[in-house]
Amino acid sequence: MLRYRFDENVLKLSESANENDVEFRIVLVTDEPFYQAGMKRVQQEFDENRVYTDVLFYHYPGREYKIIVRKDYYVDFILQLMKQRLLQSVEWADE
Amino acid sequence: MEQQAIWAVGIFLVIYALIISEKIHRTIVAMIGGLLMVVLGIVDQETAVHHIDFNTLGLLIGMMIIVSTTAETGVFKYIAVLAAKKAKGEPVRILVLLSLITAVGSAFLDNVTTVLLMVPVTFSITRQLRVNPVPFLVTQIIASNVGGTATLIGDPPNIMIGSAVKELTFMAFIDNLAPVAFIVMAVYVPLFIWMFRKKIQTTDELKRSVMEMNEKELISDPKLLRKCLIVLGLTLIGFFTHQLFQLESATVALAGAFVLLLLTGEHTMEQAFTKVEWMTIFFFVGLFVLVSGLIETGVIAELAKRAIDLTGGDLVATSLLILWLSAIASAFLDNIPFVATMIPMIQEMGSMGVSNLEPLWWSLALGACLGGNGSLIGASANLIVAGMSGKEGYPIRFVQYLKIGFPLMLLSIAISSVYVYVRYLI
Repeated sequence: MLRYRFDENVLKLSESANENDVEFRIVLVTDEPFYQAGMKRVQQEFDENRVYTDVLFYHYPGREYKIIVRKDYYVDFILQLMKQRLLQSVEWADE
Repeated sequence: MEQQAIWAVGIFLVIYALIISEKIHRTIVAMIGGLLMVVLGIVDQETAVHHIDFNTLGLLIGMMIIVSTTAETGVFKYIAVLAAKKAKGEPVRILVLLSLITAVGSAFLDNVTTVLLMVPVTFSITRQLRVNPVPFLVTQIIASNVGGTATLIGDPPNIMIGSAVKELTFMAFIDNLAPVAFIVMAVYVPLFIWMFRKKIQTTDELKRSVMEMNEKELISDPKLLRKCLIVLGLTLIGFFTHQLFQLESATVALAGAFVLLLLTGEHTMEQAFTKVEWMTIFFFVGLFVLVSGLIETGVIAELAKRAIDLTGGDLVATSLLILWLSAIASAFLDNIPFVATMIPMIQEMGSMGVSNLEPLWWSLALGACLGGNGSLIGASANLIVAGMSGKEGYPIRFVQYLKIGFPLMLLSIAISSVYVYVRYLI
């Protein structure tokens, strides 16, 4: 499984399994445009591919996002968060 | 029948069978059929090019550029989420609103483009509500064909008819077809609710999560959106008034597309051109040349003569024959090649003494567009939605769709029969 770390001064993140999906709740604590742009780029990455149900973004007030991630796209999603520096580290860990 | 006519019919039937079988991509098959007509000398190249309807192609390309550029701004997602919120997250109401948006979008953009925009947002909304997307997609297929019936640009058969018959302007299509499309949709909506209300239930918590969404975040480029909406608005005004300025609908659509690209720049142009469905464009090119072989060898004239013999030249019988024949044929064949064959046949009837062709054109449009609802292979929009849905793990089965689409199609053609009879034939 993947283990990841994030800066709590930048965002709050929680995940929960739901049927064949993993649901993420992300709130950007900081109003720095860099991180908002990063979230936008993560969404763009999954919006622009030809799979419509891989990672679905829902926007809420207060820089809050609900993201429904199909289980087979979990790793891709985490790596995209890392790529946009929304996560500080990602590593493989034993179950 | 002359030898060349026999060759033309032979090629046409083989190509048609290959299109129906879907073993090879329809664009490749149609282009090979068209090329065979030229290579075998049934039509020369100049005649073949003359038969390609550049008005149909220009209209499709222009609208594809405008709509794909507008879609980049996120406005269609915004509209869908706004509709879901207006429906208070209630799945049945969302199903109805998305169907109505699809119908209106299909009328003023074109139905293939509209479903391409609606399917991804439907997946997004239904996933959030944890309901099966198939009822939403099926109703959108049906709505796209009904909405597309209402205008000249709504459905490929109408684009082809409007392009072939200069007197049938954009306003003439709205005046003659929008009322019946409206009636059909008004009959369908309660049936949609009755058929699907029990299959799309969700929890109050999930409804609330839809209500709390911030749809404004979905507009990714407000500056581009303003430009797109201005150009789209001007293009629609252009369609409404094109006969005043004696401009073809393709000129209006292409003018809109290139004014938008002028305002948005080279980068947008590159993206927009990749979004044009070139396979569809070349499918049309192949078909126009294929049918030209039948026209030039006199096969179409012979078919028209036989149809007139069958109905005794009676306008009521001919109109209803065209309406029902087009509907049944379009339910199981691709309606684009069918209409490509019927257009010269009706024109030929005009030269054989049928004085009032107008009811025949509207019967063809209604039959071909609404008939597309009869089965999953009846129209391009149906195939596109089914393909996208299947790929995402929600297959829409042929028989499953047939049980819903075919009776609804028959109902719409019955309504259309009454409409055509009362409006044009009494």
